[in-house]
Amino acid sequence: MATTPERDLRLLGGSIPYIEGPLKVSGRAEYTDDLKRPGMLVGKLLRAPWAHARLVRVDTTKARAMPGVFAVLKGEKYPTPFGVLPITRDETAIAVDRSRYIGDIIAAVAAQDELTAERALAAVEVEIEPLPEYADPRVGRERVDAPIHEKGLNHSNLQKEVVQHFGDVDAAFRAAAATVRVRASFAGVTHAFTEPQCTIAEATPDGRLTVWSSTQVPHYLHRSLSEVLGMPMHRIRVVKPEVGGGFGGKSDPLPHEIACAALALETGRPVKILFDRDEVFYTNHGRHPTHNDVRIAADAEGHLLGYDIEALIEGGAWSSFGTVTTYYNGVMAMGPYRLPSFRYKGQRVFTNRPPSGAMRAHGGTNIRYSVEVGLDELAEKLQLDPFELRSRNALPPNSTTINEFRVTSTSFRKCLDVVRERSGWADKWRRLPYGQGVGLGCGFYISGSASPIHFTPKMPQCTVHLKADMDGGITVHSMQADIGQGSNTLLAAIVAEVIGVSLDRVHVSPVDSDITPVDIGSYSSRVTFMMGNAARKAAEGLRDRLIEATHQLTGYPREAIRVRHERYEVEHRPEVGATYLEALHQALEGTGALQSTGSYTSPPVGGSFKGARAGTAPAYSFAAYVAQVTVDDETGVYDVEKVWAAFDCGRPLNRLAVEGQIQGSIHMGLGQFMGESMDYRGTRLMNPSLLDYKIIMPHQMPEIECLLVGADDPEGPFGAKEAGEGPLVATLPAAANALYDAIGVRFYDLPVTPDRVLKGLDRRRAESRLWKGH
Amino acid sequence: MHLDPFELHRPVSIEEAVRLAQELAPGFDYLAGGTDLLPNYKMHLNLRPHLIALDQVPELQGHDLDRIGAMARLADLDSDREISTHYPGLAQAVHGVATPLVRASGTVGGNLLVETRCFFFNQSLFWRASLGYCLKADGDRCYVVPQKEKCYATFSGDLAPALEVLGAEVDLAGPDGNRRLPLEDLYNAEGDGIQRHHLRPGELVVAVQLPPDARRRRSAYLKLRPRPSFDFPELGVAVALERDGNSLAALEIAVGGLETYPRRFRSITDGFVGGSLSGDRIADLARAVQGAVRPVHNTAYPPDYRKRMTGVFVRRAVTSLWEGREAS
Repeated sequence: MATTPERDLRLLGGSIPYIEGPLKVSGRAEYTDDLKRPGMLVGKLLRAPWAHARLVRVDTTKARAMPGVFAVLKGEKYPTPFGVLPITRDETAIAVDRSRYIGDIIAAVAAQDELTAERALAAVEVEIEPLPEYADPRVGRERVDAPIHEKGLNHSNLQKEVVQHFGDVDAAFRAAAATVRVRASFAGVTHAFTEPQCTIAEATPDGRLTVWSSTQVPHYLHRSLSEVLGMPMHRIRVVKPEVGGGFGGKSDPLPHEIACAALALETGRPVKILFDRDEVFYTNHGRHPTHNDVRIAADAEGHLLGYDIEALIEGGAWSSFGTVTTYYNGVMAMGPYRLPSFRYKGQRVFTNRPPSGAMRAHGGTNIRYSVEVGLDELAEKLQLDPFELRSRNALPPNSTTINEFRVTSTSFRKCLDVVRERSGWADKWRRLPYGQGVGLGCGFYISGSASPIHFTPKMPQCTVHLKADMDGGITVHSMQADIGQGSNTLLAAIVAEVIGVSLDRVHVSPVDSDITPVDIGSYSSRVTFMMGNAARKAAEGLRDRLIEATHQLTGYPREAIRVRHERYEVEHRPEVGATYLEALHQALEGTGALQSTGSYTSPPVGGSFKGARAGTAPAYSFAAYVAQVTVDDETGVYDVEKVWAAFDCGRPLNRLAVEGQIQGSIHMGLGQFMGESMDYRGTRLMNPSLLDYKIIMPHQMPEIECLLVGADDPEGPFGAKEAGEGPLVATLPAAANALYDAIGVRFYDLPVTPDRVLKGLDRRRAESRLWKGH
Repeated sequence: MHLDPFELHRPVSIEEAVRLAQELAPGFDYLAGGTDLLPNYKMHLNLRPHLIALDQVPELQGHDLDRIGAMARLADLDSDREISTHYPGLAQAVHGVATPLVRASGTVGGNLLVETRCFFFNQSLFWRASLGYCLKADGDRCYVVPQKEKCYATFSGDLAPALEVLGAEVDLAGPDGNRRLPLEDLYNAEGDGIQRHHLRPGELVVAVQLPPDARRRRSAYLKLRPRPSFDFPELGVAVALERDGNSLAALEIAVGGLETYPRRFRSITDGFVGGSLSGDRIADLARAVQGAVRPVHNTAYPPDYRKRMTGVFVRRAVTSLWEGREAS
């Protein structure tokens, strides 16, 4: 039957407050740490105080003998390596033979209370042999004495190297009328979500194991638990309670989750591990510290001819998502522009530091910064308005990029037009007084990875089940992971929209692997697009049963029956029909509760060369941002006063959620730009606390104007695309280019702290280069 | 991170507090608002088995323009219009402390005696054990200026500089009786991040006294920090001056957030009193103060930046006050 006509949407497209909002703001929502199980023990982890060491002896005898201690585990009992990517499984629940960074887990304790657990940790005797420490990824690319992982390429710490070449880059640079080169470095940043990681595990005498965890990827956790613990998946139940933010930091199965389950198996008692904030920092999996080198070539009219890019990214101690990150640092450089040639060499190097991984706008943020700052420089060289340069190169709808990405919908050009107009660009750019400026930054991002991280690739990426019973309620089951981004609300709203019922009839079941069908998790901005399509199909199945029932009740043909609010009625004879409940009860006759299933599988996209799938997606989001800044040129302190954020997420299904994502993304992006930094001295993290890791404060937030300009995507649910990560990437270069407009200084090292602003001004003055007369 | 068990004592008079202090010495800390001490305890920094809480002692409470009790809450000063009208610099300093939640608990006495800070000290037990302990807690060496004698932890209170430039004095009570000191004499000007003040064993701060001429002074407090909330000072410049026609009748400058105690600059400022101020004179003054300070690298911003900002802040504050404008 026909799908729901987009023009008649009742709920979707409006602003829908989160359905769990009242529970969260009243403190009644249950996060993992709110849960208690009878007889629950406290789990604690012994962390390595050395950066790199061979574990000669880990003796738990004394610790185990202490009263109140139920178990002390070493790595050797569960040595099976795991990892989020099947091709790079190199983490263990507890270190085996070797520890690789300050904070690495070397033993786990379960005890009656926290104090006893900590005393037991102190009683574990560890004898080590120190190994050489590697803090510098540049050094680690070459042959080293003691590679951090045995499989490092050529006895080095190189984890992954990607080389790609499309078109003829050398010819492009030979033919270029103008070229620019940006060499930039980026400190590592971390997610700093509100809720520290927490896991509870309980093994029961029926041979089953239940794990409650603060995770974005309950399904990958489920698989990893099974692999490492040697238990079949069907005897393990994974539950995801409310999650207080993830941003990618909970998108790997993490060692402590498996260690917690191992402690539960060992003790037969429920065990809870709750991280202290410093443990969150050591666990990290945040944005890779990065050096990149970007060369851009263009002809005299500003048409881009080619990019030549090198990126060196620091992986820390584990692989995590690193293989993907290494590809993304190349391919995320390309859109939203048409590009005839492209060359990329990317390297990811292990160091003895907390692991890097996926963080919001994964792999795209740093490279887009360098590209967009480079384009600003290029525009200046060619004496073009930065908008004009981008406009001339905008990727058209329904095109294929040189690396064979399929791009369907794009409203990028409209993003440019709208943000230029709304920001008053024409009156401001190069016209504001010295110390004030505006800058443009652009971006794009995947709307769900088309290539799922999956061990059984023929399964869909998401499945949604619905159940409707005589009470008139509809229960939705899916393992999609709401981590605060509003996916439960969207799931409920799509179901309510299609079936034509009030939102309060729809109940979203908690994620529970015993009940909810597989969804591969909240990462790569895939949920709205993939879950949304699956939910829509499931809801249409249920709706069709109600249409059938209405047909039975009224005798009118199925095709003539229309879904209205809480009512199914005959088109042109609206007085004839059935209420939703009447139709439902008719449908239940002889069958009982109705069920319906929907799923989503990406269409085949991308090329066939090695690495071709990295960065492929069924759709892409696009962004064009303008930032306005004011700089105090004596202190280097600057204020990002306003950001105009034009964003193409296709049709926004929940404006409240989309605007929230844009605001949150700008906060996170400006945090990385203005001050956030994982500060290391050698292998030692100097600021593992929320006092010393400088997330920006509400006072520092700009006024934000969200300009949602997208047109319907042909494959997105109701025309929607992602809005969770794409809104971040344009933020940083917009701010950098605005600083340039204000004071005539380029910034190539992030974060751009006030002392660096002053140094930049000093350099410009030393060159006797005036800017706006100063 | 857990708080190790301790025994809490709640005296109801200064006399009882001091007697408890004598009995428990040296195994105790006085507890005021707890916003600095208890997080430090969680990090296992210099734990004591006993805490003597001062919140039940009536003599330490309350404030007016002449006297501020040691247990006056920062939030109470923050919302007092009399304070902001007569002592704008003090009001800026109070408002700049941490966050509204911290100011709701934090006290004046607590801020005057807030523990000096350093990124080798304000770390978890795990972190410090990993590197090796430092002079200031459980160790025998300094990692900021590598040696084994002197601690360089930074004075991180906001109120002391702002009160010192107003000529504040402190009332102290202890086993040897009561005494009153100029506030600046409370701090150890020899420069030691551990022995940072001259309180005698068991002694506590009762109140801050403000002289009548404090109200005549124009004052300002400018604070440097990465974020406009939450953060401790990377630099705090307090200035008070009196202008008599075209003559500078009084000038006081105190700078916190750079060294182990709030620095004063009498030998510099005295040379300016009695004359008039011009842009050039103010620039000379700022340059002289900037040249005198010696920050080290143990906070978020690099020391050369904090030093340079000292000059900028002194110039801005003095210029504004001289011209009768609010400094910011």
